[in-house]
Amino acid sequence: MEEEDQQKIPDLIKELVLRLLSQNPTSDSQLLNPKSPSFHKHLRYALRILSARLRPSIAPDSAAIAESIKRRLVTQGKSSQALTFSELYTLFDSKTGLGSVNNKWAVLHLLDIVSEDRRSTAGQLDSPLLLPNLALGDAESGDNDSWVLRRRVKDKGWSNGVLLVAKDPENARDVAFREFANLVKEENEVSEEVLVRDVLYACQGIDGNYVKFDSSSDGYVLSDSIKVPRATGIMVRKLCELGWLFRKVKGYVSESMDRFPAEDVGTVGQAFCAALQDELSDYYKLLAVLEAQSMNRIPLVSDSASSGNYLSLRRLSVWFAEPMVKMRLMAVLVDKCKVLKGGAMAGAIHLLAQHGDPMVQEFMRRLLRRVCSPLFEMVRSWVLEGELEDIFAEFFVVSQSVKAESLWREGYMLHPGMLPSFISQSLAQRILRTGKSINFLRVCCDDRGWAESATEAAAAAGTSTRRGGLGYGKTDALDSLVDEAAKRIDKHLLDVMYNRYKFKEHCLAIKRYLLLGQGDFVQYLMDIVGPQLSEPANTISSFQLAGLLETAIRASNAQYDDPDILDRLRVKMMPHGTGDRGWDVFSLEYDARVPLDTVFTESVMAKYLRIFNFLWKLRRVEHALIGAWKTMKPNCITSNSFTKLQQAVKLQLLSTLRRCQVLWDEMNHFVTNLQYYIMFEVLEVSWSNLSNEMEVAKDLDDLLAAHEKYLNSIVEKSLLGESSQLLYKSLFVLFDLILQFRSHADRLYEGIYELQARSESALPSQDKSKSRKQRNATSSEPGSWISEGRKALTQRANEFLQSMGQDLDAISKEYSSLLENFISQLPVQQHVDLKFLLFRLDFTEFYSQQHPRS
Amino acid sequence: MDPEAAKTARESLDLAFHMSNILETGLDRHTLSVLIALCDLGLNPEALAAVVKELRRETLSSTPSASAHPPSS
Repeated sequence: MEEEDQQKIPDLIKELVLRLLSQNPTSDSQLLNPKSPSFHKHLRYALRILSARLRPSIAPDSAAIAESIKRRLVTQGKSSQALTFSELYTLFDSKTGLGSVNNKWAVLHLLDIVSEDRRSTAGQLDSPLLLPNLALGDAESGDNDSWVLRRRVKDKGWSNGVLLVAKDPENARDVAFREFANLVKEENEVSEEVLVRDVLYACQGIDGNYVKFDSSSDGYVLSDSIKVPRATGIMVRKLCELGWLFRKVKGYVSESMDRFPAEDVGTVGQAFCAALQDELSDYYKLLAVLEAQSMNRIPLVSDSASSGNYLSLRRLSVWFAEPMVKMRLMAVLVDKCKVLKGGAMAGAIHLLAQHGDPMVQEFMRRLLRRVCSPLFEMVRSWVLEGELEDIFAEFFVVSQSVKAESLWREGYMLHPGMLPSFISQSLAQRILRTGKSINFLRVCCDDRGWAESATEAAAAAGTSTRRGGLGYGKTDALDSLVDEAAKRIDKHLLDVMYNRYKFKEHCLAIKRYLLLGQGDFVQYLMDIVGPQLSEPANTISSFQLAGLLETAIRASNAQYDDPDILDRLRVKMMPHGTGDRGWDVFSLEYDARVPLDTVFTESVMAKYLRIFNFLWKLRRVEHALIGAWKTMKPNCITSNSFTKLQQAVKLQLLSTLRRCQVLWDEMNHFVTNLQYYIMFEVLEVSWSNLSNEMEVAKDLDDLLAAHEKYLNSIVEKSLLGESSQLLYKSLFVLFDLILQFRSHADRLYEGIYELQARSESALPSQDKSKSRKQRNATSSEPGSWISEGRKALTQRANEFLQSMGQDLDAISKEYSSLLENFISQLPVQQHVDLKFLLFRLDFTEFYSQQHPRS
Repeated sequence: MDPEAAKTARESLDLAFHMSNILETGLDRHTLSVLIALCDLGLNPEALAAVVKELRRETLSSTPSASAHPPSS
């Protein structure tokens, strides 16, 4: 078969030449004669050409050739013809089997070249077209004769419709073209599509043939050994920036994925990496399309041919514009977030998302939605269930393990570093409080009812208690969910506190017992416990005191109180040093158990203790004065018994008595007013404020704050605060003085009674005297007292009264000065209510008139 | 050649001729058929195209000055 084919070839060639030559209508007749020498000449020529090019220079791909033909037709504006051509080609291609053309590609290629040649010789003054021909023709064919032939053509002056300026071989234009072709060939060691392919590789982080990653200059560079035109080099470098950015982003993603098992990268970091990988997959798609396009041209085996390559570097730079922006964004994000994690990372990304460009915004929003979803999940589970599932420490609520009583105050805290910037402080506080309440209820109150509140809240907010439903950009949804949850949980918590644990009742009980609100109880207590407390502190046993406390409770109205409350009331002996009396160390204590000890913590109870001490001392002084009054009742002293005495003595007695009474009165006035001030202006007012606030309190924080305020105001107003130190000290000196007075008064009256008794015995009265004398004579006290008689008595009385009088004077003076000092300090106090105290004490301006200020 | 093959061949030629017209190659049907046969036999299409081009030019150039002959090698 092949031989037969081989046989056919020369014949066919002959035939071809004949036909071609006969196409020319004006040809010589002799050419048509196959036997003519000119014909043979042509034939030989044709044969030479045919043998010179044995191998085609393109790949035998008919489809590609058809494509390029079509495209050329389109670019020439003949799109309808292109359509027809494609139809024809489809039909042509479908013809298979016997009688069909086997080398279809050859046919197409042939037609292509012929038509191109024809067009180029049809006379277009198109120098770019000329140029490629030069490069193509001269480089490829080593056929000098065609060049010579062409020259000859020009020799003849036939110019293909182009007017040539000169006809000699030294045509300057041709020379110039030739030089330029050589130059281009030299410079373009590497052709454009190879560079394009290399750039595409670089943009995926792979080193190409010529473009490699250079770690010293940290970028993709074209090796210096390759010579390319400067413009190309610059363009390649610009395009490779994309490769550098890609490398950075990809490096971060793979590094994070590696680090994950070591628990360094949190859930937010993982979400971030996943989002980045999604964006990168989009980028890969683009690269795949571009690569396919870069193949879509006339595939040439040799490198130095460049005909109509679709994807040039310039086109590539246009395509890369958008991915460059995105990749740059991702690289910036990667830089920022390398060292961050958790909420801080989300916050940083959010800050970067505040951008005007809508494309950037859209991109960042997509990214953020994925990055923040773990965070929002954590918030949801915290707010609805009180669960803190935070292995990587990314959440802005941190927990510490503390005892049950400090759970509320110290168990959970906000970590401001992890708080993302799109969650405001107040929202964060609410989130914290809601979760804390749930945990508090669960741990301290043993309550399970909060679960219904949680589901209700979720239903009300429109989200479910399962995963999902919240996301970045829906901060208002989060807001409403937190609000609803907070409302319900807080209400539930307060209900539990008030109803189950009787918070109000306990508060009231503390006020009644520790702040001495239950008057009759305090009175009984003082009566019973008083004598014991005058002993030195180390001789008193607290058990005994506890028993006495019980007695006091039972004797007063306190016995009708709730036994649970009475249970918690106890006696406490404070640590004492030597020389302390019982009065200094005695105090009452109230045992508030979980969960109430969240409110009544150790420090709070210490404050209560201080106030108790102060009030107790005040009560003691009051008690002392009342006791003094009991002995001073005028009925005890009748002037009858003293008629026997001398006038002088009587006068002295009366004056002493009078001074005593006056002093007592002053002291009583002071103490009563102080007591009244403390009881009503301070305690009751603060209590009513607290009650009002307890009514309107919305959550436990409010309650704690109200109680704090209550205590602080009491402390301030009762002179226990920091600013009233001096006043406090002078007050205590006053108290001591009053107690001294009490003892003096006691002694005075004892003396007077003794005097009275002795005077009676010494000077018997008319009616009873005889009997008494007799009785007295029989049972009279031994001693020389009686025998001394009236004179001695008078003298003694004199001395006694004098000494007492002096003492009283001393006390009186001291008291006045101290009181003046005290009162003068009152107006300069900060607290407004102390001015009211001054007002009470100095109602008639007695003191300020006594010592007018200059 | 059996009639089927003949038909196919004829249709292929028609199609090729049509395509060639669209591309304005200026080849007539007969020449085209010869060329297709030569291509099918494995000759280099580029070479054939070159032959076509040269011979065309030959004929065209020989018209104005019939006396001049291209030198033979």
